[in-house]
Amino acid sequence: MPDTQTVAARKPWLDPAQKPFVRIQKVTKKFGDFTAVWDVSLDIFKGELFCLLGGSGSGKSTLLRMIAGFEAPTSGRIEIDGQDMTHVAPYDRPTNMMFQSYALFPHMTVERNVAYGLLREGMARDKAMERVAAMLKLVQLTPFAGRKPHQLSGGQRQRVALARALVKRPKLLLLDEPLGALDKKLREETQFELVKIQETLGITFMVVTHDQEEAMTLSSRIGVMNEGEIVQVGEPNEIYEFPHSRFVADFVGSVNIFEGRVIEDEPDFIRLASPEAGCDIHVGHGVACTLNQTLWYAVRPEKMRLSRTDPGGAFNRVQGVVQEIAYLGNLSIFRVRLDSGKVVRATRANVARVDEEAISWDERVWVSWTDTAGVVLNR
Amino acid sequence: MRRGLFLPVVCTLGFVFLYAPIVSLVVYSFNDSRLVTVWGGFSTRWYVQLFTDPQILGAAWISLQVAAISATLAVALGTLAAYVLTRFGPFRGRAILTGMATAPLVMPEVITGLSLLLLFVAMEQIIGWPGGRGMTTIIIAHVTFCMAYVAVVVQSRLSGMDESLEEAAMDLGARPVRVFFDVTIPVIAPALVAGWLLAFTLSLDDLVIASFVTGPGASTLPMIIFSKVRLGVSPDINALATIIIAVVALGVVVATWQMRRSMRGRRTS
Repeated sequence: MPDTQTVAARKPWLDPAQKPFVRIQKVTKKFGDFTAVWDVSLDIFKGELFCLLGGSGSGKSTLLRMIAGFEAPTSGRIEIDGQDMTHVAPYDRPTNMMFQSYALFPHMTVERNVAYGLLREGMARDKAMERVAAMLKLVQLTPFAGRKPHQLSGGQRQRVALARALVKRPKLLLLDEPLGALDKKLREETQFELVKIQETLGITFMVVTHDQEEAMTLSSRIGVMNEGEIVQVGEPNEIYEFPHSRFVADFVGSVNIFEGRVIEDEPDFIRLASPEAGCDIHVGHGVACTLNQTLWYAVRPEKMRLSRTDPGGAFNRVQGVVQEIAYLGNLSIFRVRLDSGKVVRATRANVARVDEEAISWDERVWVSWTDTAGVVLNR
Repeated sequence: MRRGLFLPVVCTLGFVFLYAPIVSLVVYSFNDSRLVTVWGGFSTRWYVQLFTDPQILGAAWISLQVAAISATLAVALGTLAAYVLTRFGPFRGRAILTGMATAPLVMPEVITGLSLLLLFVAMEQIIGWPGGRGMTTIIIAHVTFCMAYVAVVVQSRLSGMDESLEEAAMDLGARPVRVFFDVTIPVIAPALVAGWLLAFTLSLDDLVIASFVTGPGASTLPMIIFSKVRLGVSPDINALATIIIAVVALGVVVATWQMRRSMRGRRTS
């Protein structure tokens, strides 16, 4: 039975024979002259925890609201579990949503908040209360069943909202910035809890967030949105290590981008001349490009090496002066001004508690990277 | 130091100006003398006389009925108007509806009263209803201007309300009408109570419009007071006024206390 495996391990999106659970086809949403979502097509598979990642105004919330039924698409089609949902009212959809503001009914107790959906469905009171009790136990809120929302802490309210959205066992759970209102420590705990609950219940989750760290931790796949369009869909490590564009590379994590011109194009390597970096960039694999084409080379800070001595070789190494060091505990971020004038970021893990040899301010250092450290981008 | 003295003096003068008439009215309601301006010792006889005067008691009863019924109707209609204006987006005729719903706020009472009177007379001639003028016509007239106040109060509460509450209810399977009664009404309840109280006092207080649209046998309290005062202020009016002040003051205290409590609940949420 393949279902015993988590969806992240099965990767149904790689198998063309798999039927997607949620199909979004060429969906566009306009508000007057403003286009909030433009021609989005997206397939989501059963059991996935899919993150829509984007900045504010990228259209991610509008897309979520269209799936929930609060907005009707201007054009396009939304299908859930094989049924056309494009123009179905929100109260007739097999989806439930957890709102950013939690939207708990302030005049109802926790128990009645969670029971509301079941009672609207016409479930008998005692049966509904049984389900509610089980759900409150799952989110560890049993002792708070009789409280009103304003008597709860932020984290507790978040769990009530989750319980209320889950108790109807929707086919698809939509979460709008689910952890946005929580402080950092609580957010980290809740992230793992959310994934655990999702795996226990096997419900398909769709999460909207602007927090790339959150998207990385939670999701089986991420869809990055920008200005109403999906710019890349992929597993977290794909998005991080193999971004398709400068936008994605820059939006997810931090990155150093060098502009360069192709001066050698061989089947198993290419070489870029980059005045911006101040050295030639050697890429250790073939790239579909033409001579003299302008490309960009993106290297993550943790893949940049800093050294006092010349690492040797004719490329992928450049000198600069340490401008700033930010100590974050587990790692330190170095900002190095290269001789070309460009400032790059490099991180170093603080493996030793005391490092007498540590590179310090205003020191002249070599910055280098391997020929597989970065990714070539053409837009 | 001049400022230190200036403020208390102005403040005292202000309060004296506002409340001295009311205080003297309350004091003179316990006056034994028949002459309103001459103190003749403490007595509650005007209160006794008041409660045995069938005309005043009848008028008070009519006023209370009119106020309660028109406040209730005004809350129902005003809430619907406010709901349409805040939740139905930019539909055609929205600007006109906004203007029309709030016009009675600024309309001179004389004009409202006169136009309603003409309407009632014309309607009676054409469709035979309302047959004559009386409590029904006063209630209709009061609803028309009270609902404007209710609409304004409720509208501000509705637009301040988190709309995702309604969306959440809909998302959980409630149809729009259900959402309205399960979520919207309870959340805006404080505004409904405030609107009702406002409409109630406005109706209780109204003299001009009621005088226009009333008929025989339906004199409200303000009308009786006004007609009595025209024959000279009698001390039993002082007693009546004192009772009204006491009731209103109590109402204000209760309303403020209630509002504080609900505010406290909301601030922590």
